[in-house]
Amino acid sequence: MDIQVFVDLQDTLDQESSLFDAIKEAIKELNKICRIGSAKLSKVHAVPQSQTQEIIDAIKPQFAEIKQKLSTLAGFIKPVTFFKYHDMWGYAVQSACALVVFSIYLEHSRLATPEDIHEYLGFRVNTTNSDISEFVITLEEYLHSVVSMFNELSRLAVNAVIAGDIKRPQEISTFASELYSGFQLLNLKNDALRRRFDSIKYDIKKIEEVQYDLRVRGLIS
Amino acid sequence: MDQNADDQRETKRPRIYNNKQRGKAVNKQPIEDTTNTSITKQAILSSFKSYRDTLDAHYDQRERVIKCSRDITALSKKIVFTLLRITQDGQTQVFDEAERKHKQVVELFVKISSDLRGTDAYKYNGQATHGIQEYIEALGLWTFLKDNRLITREQVLERLTPEGAQEPLVNVTESDYVLGICDLPGEVNRFCINSIGKGDREAVKRCVAFLRVMKEGVALLLCSGKIKDLDKKFEVLDSSLSKTEAAYYSMSIREGEMSAMDVDAPPPPSSGNQAVAAAE
Repeated sequence: MDIQVFVDLQDTLDQESSLFDAIKEAIKELNKICRIGSAKLSKVHAVPQSQTQEIIDAIKPQFAEIKQKLSTLAGFIKPVTFFKYHDMWGYAVQSACALVVFSIYLEHSRLATPEDIHEYLGFRVNTTNSDISEFVITLEEYLHSVVSMFNELSRLAVNAVIAGDIKRPQEISTFASELYSGFQLLNLKNDALRRRFDSIKYDIKKIEEVQYDLRVRGLIS
Repeated sequence: MDQNADDQRETKRPRIYNNKQRGKAVNKQPIEDTTNTSITKQAILSSFKSYRDTLDAHYDQRERVIKCSRDITALSKKIVFTLLRITQDGQTQVFDEAERKHKQVVELFVKISSDLRGTDAYKYNGQATHGIQEYIEALGLWTFLKDNRLITREQVLERLTPEGAQEPLVNVTESDYVLGICDLPGEVNRFCINSIGKGDREAVKRCVAFLRVMKEGVALLLCSGKIKDLDKKFEVLDSSLSKTEAAYYSMSIREGEMSAMDVDAPPPPSSGNQAVAAAE
């Protein structure tokens, strides 16, 4: 008689199983497109700034697909259980946001706002702690994706010099330090976001070293 | 000299009024030097200030849930200790005391429920689950001792629904429930050993039967495979069952020895009146 408790539980868990599988599949698809987009966007490291625009234009189809895959994923999630499965897609959503953040910097030299994310990915960033009534991108996912950009910026500074854009590292440096001051306003706890935040200073250092190298050789004033 | 004094001063604390309005504090806020702050920087700082507020509130809520969960854990453990004294204090006393402590736990659940409303329930489930599991363990032991059966998830929710309320104070997920009852075998084993000390054969039999059902049940759930760390709990369950079976075995053997030795061996005292047995 007590065993019935377990049999019923097993039924419940099995029913959930097909939902799990659908979610996993959708996340896999999303990850794939993000990887393609990321690989294409990486080309900006290899070319001078003048050629950046065509690379950004070239990933527009990826953004369209990402929007669609994300929508598929969102279709499986009922808002009331949003956080139950949330950890499953955290990484994929971060990658997607990171693409948006980096593209917008390359195109407009500014930080992508939650509104930009909404426009590119089709879902709001939840910047408050209000109840979830639809699929959202969490504030932490957005912040993680912004942290990812520092690594791109430090690489970009180095590669700009290689490509001959010796004025560019200064712009990058100014922007990076402005962004860092924003991050320094946050009161972080000892979690993943804090650990990634701690790594930002190494990227800042690298960018400053590029500046120093240029200045000390008299390549810039 | 005035200039020097100014320079020295600036590094120490922000001016509360700028040079032009010296002597007239216009407002008490330190004026930020915005002359060198670009538009982009201002935008960034302003956005991040609001993110900071959101994150602060989120972390605070998380802390509250953690603290409350710890209190629930502590009190639930006390209920378990109370229940394990049943072999020396008897049912009535123990169940009454458990009931009293249970009222206090319910108050804690009332407190935690305000932070677990709506979608926050799953958001902070990771922090709340430990307390919920300990509570389920306490209720589970109680139900086993009182009614010799396994408490169901629905019954846990009933206990968490105050008089006249429609909803339970907090949600109990399948995972919370399963992990909660998986901690029962350890306590049942303790009860079993205590019972052997009192010679309560029936209790020992009940324990073995109960744990065997639990093992079978959890093995079924492992096939569905969606609950984290269930396999480790299963191993602990299995080891508790082995210990309980070993205890039952040695108790049975000893009885065999006793009856084989016949005359001088006192009959195993039944649970209750040792005084009566001694007088016989």
